[in-house]
Amino acid sequence: MASGAPRPHGDPGLQPERTALAWGRTMLALVTASAFFLRWLPTYGPPILMLPAVSGAAALAIYLTQRRRYRARSHGLAGESIEADLSAVLWTAFAGVVLGALGVVVVVTG
Amino acid sequence: MTNSEHPPGTAAPPPRGRLAERLLPGGEEPDPRFTLANERTFLAWIRTSLALLAGGIALEAFTSGLFIEPVRKGLAIILLLMGMMLSGGAAMRWLRVERSMRNKAPLPLPFFVPLLAGAGALTAAVVLVFVLLR
Repeated sequence: MASGAPRPHGDPGLQPERTALAWGRTMLALVTASAFFLRWLPTYGPPILMLPAVSGAAALAIYLTQRRRYRARSHGLAGESIEADLSAVLWTAFAGVVLGALGVVVVVTG
Repeated sequence: MTNSEHPPGTAAPPPRGRLAERLLPGGEEPDPRFTLANERTFLAWIRTSLALLAGGIALEAFTSGLFIEPVRKGLAIILLLMGMMLSGGAAMRWLRVERSMRNKAPLPLPFFVPLLAGAGALTAAVVLVFVLLR
């Protein structure tokens, strides 16, 4: 590997990159889950479509904010200050809770 | 709301959002690497939760030839509820870890690790019994 720290943040542990990749994995997991929910459309009928709508929207939201998030983090780390991303965490967890609740509704009524 | 807890002579911390002030009060900003590590752990729990949710939906649709309806629906709902709890619990844990780090306190124990392990073992045992007795 070339000597010198990676740019632009100079963190040899590549924390912003690893965190961006973790969001990317989560986005892919949401896309996979969306496809998976759609797979059972013949079994459950139209109500199951609520689930891929939520998981797909969450995946899209992550996709659209990835660049901005990475940029903020890598510049933040360069200045040794990163604000905890409270709203991203709360929205992601909320999506998971809503998916579970919709899933229970679909299973109970289906 | 004033934010003048920092000792004199040090730079004032950058202004934070109102929600952050409410949910993550006091203390001082932790090492940014710790904040990022906490976020990655949260995301790993979210992916685990997604696997449980997808599993719950699939179990109900997939196993109609294996389980009688109450068992099938019951197991599916257990998986879905666990996925829900895991998503909500991941956010709660993220908050508690972030608070502990701000106040330089010990990190809280992950209470849902034994819960998840126990539920996973129980589900596997039920499936095993049904597959063997079939």
